[in-house]
Amino acid sequence: MLVPGILFILLFKYTPMYGITIAFKDFNIFTGFADSPWVGWKHFERLFTSPDFAQVFRNTVIISFLKIVILFPLPIVVALMLNEMRNMIFKRTVQTVIYLPHFLSWVIVGGLFMDLLSTNGGIVNKALTAMGMEPIAFFLDNSVFRSVLITSAGWKETGWSTIVYLAAFTTIDPMLYEAARMDGAGRWKQLWHITLPGIAPVIILMFILRLGSVLEAGTEQILVMYNPVVYQVSDVIGTYVYRRGLGSQDYSFSTAVGLFEAVISFTLVIAGNAASRKYLQRGIW
Amino acid sequence: MDHKQALEGLQPRGVIKTSFSEKCFTVFNYVFFILLGLTTLLPFVNLLAKSLSSESAVISGRVGLLPVGLQFETYHYVLQDSMFLNSLKVSIALTVIGTACSLFLTTLTAYPLSKVRLRGRKGILLIFVFTMLFSGGLIPTYLLMQNLNLVNSFPVLFLPAMVNVYNMLIIKNYFEGLPEELEESAKLDGAGNVRILMSVMLPLSLPVLATIGLFFAVAFWNDYFTAMIYISDPAIKPMQLYLKELLVSSSGDFLKDNIDAAINTTPQSIQASSILLATIPILLVYPFLQKYFVKGVLVGSVKG
Repeated sequence: MLVPGILFILLFKYTPMYGITIAFKDFNIFTGFADSPWVGWKHFERLFTSPDFAQVFRNTVIISFLKIVILFPLPIVVALMLNEMRNMIFKRTVQTVIYLPHFLSWVIVGGLFMDLLSTNGGIVNKALTAMGMEPIAFFLDNSVFRSVLITSAGWKETGWSTIVYLAAFTTIDPMLYEAARMDGAGRWKQLWHITLPGIAPVIILMFILRLGSVLEAGTEQILVMYNPVVYQVSDVIGTYVYRRGLGSQDYSFSTAVGLFEAVISFTLVIAGNAASRKYLQRGIW
Repeated sequence: MDHKQALEGLQPRGVIKTSFSEKCFTVFNYVFFILLGLTTLLPFVNLLAKSLSSESAVISGRVGLLPVGLQFETYHYVLQDSMFLNSLKVSIALTVIGTACSLFLTTLTAYPLSKVRLRGRKGILLIFVFTMLFSGGLIPTYLLMQNLNLVNSFPVLFLPAMVNVYNMLIIKNYFEGLPEELEESAKLDGAGNVRILMSVMLPLSLPVLATIGLFFAVAFWNDYFTAMIYISDPAIKPMQLYLKELLVSSSGDFLKDNIDAAINTTPQSIQASSILLATIPILLVYPFLQKYFVKGVLVGSVKG
């Protein structure tokens, strides 16, 4: 029973891992895999001296950093507020609505934002002009495009990300709240002294998981939303590998870029798990 | 004495004060969530209005939440467009076939791995889990597909995704939670492994299978990336890829040339209606999605 599954994983996951060796070769589709000459670290030297890659790496880190700083705390705040909501019907309705965007593809969400932010009848620019401001070409302006990326990512995933925290609330012993109320603690004090410490391990765990994907700044999102005008601020490792590899067919070099990302991510996850085990006595695995 | 009474008299007022601030918070909370809900929903309303508005209204930007110059020609146009319909067919085929094959293979793999008596279980699990942490990357995978002659073929859209390790672990954990005795007694009755899986384990695992089936279905329906990498043949482009090209092409005036001048519509309206049509299937199954996805995430986060 195991054989088909193992064969699939060997073929579709492990063969490409072996294929990484082309990062150390001058791979040419005509000479083939085995006959392409070994070139050692050449492509990595190119990578580290390339101004292109420096820009791409900077974009990746900046976008990821902004997403973490702004979008990581948001679902925690929303979950805390939902938790204080006593009207169950209202609460469930809100949950149903805010979970929805998670199930839509980036193509749909990207299209939705292009439409909302369009300079050509988009509702946001309509509101801006109504308030006497200049319309903004959100998708063509290097100074605002990153904000578009972060806002749309927040719009899509914040609601859904509350689930983990909402589940964590249910594991807190209700006796603690009762005791706190007896001692005269108000809702704010209960939140600060019981709820937050109660979900702190989950927050830290989610944070560690998030750090592991710091070099994945949202390739699927950016591939839908960006365009050559804003490459300068939005070209990240994932999109760069796609264009250099499949567009310019620079196979060896883009494999090297991909490997660079994979190794760092792998290291971060392993380190994060080790840290979590040490300080929280609880790892991801 | 008076002094003390005065203090006690203050006490209830203090309580009223906190409850007043709590009331403020409650009101704030309602307002916040109503706004949040509207932020989520209004873009769709706006899109719907645009898809139903007349050409002149859309171009002059007069469309807000209600259609201006109501027309249904856009939907008529999109639903007759052979490219759209074909991509819809491809997406439906992909979702059905992909989900069925993936669910089958993932369950088949999860079952033996849920048995502690399996020799080399830890090692085999490690082989699977390692692929979650490290991968060959885009280019080596693309070259593999090229070698397998899978580029520009329909199966490439689901074959590589068939064993999903995360989903497999969820099913495995569920199997591990089922009582051992059931299997023992089936074995005493002379049932083999396949028989046990089919007639004992599977009927008991319907909730988790439904969850994972939906995971797969949504992933296949929403995936545009795989198609973008491997598919250039318009006959097998799934809807998400078709939509993506539609969005990008609006600036390239591809649509304007193709739209019959007699039709009272715009590229924006066509985009809007196509986006909404692609969203409808998700909305139709959304009640199930919400229910099962929440369960799936919780199972995954507890044990994964």
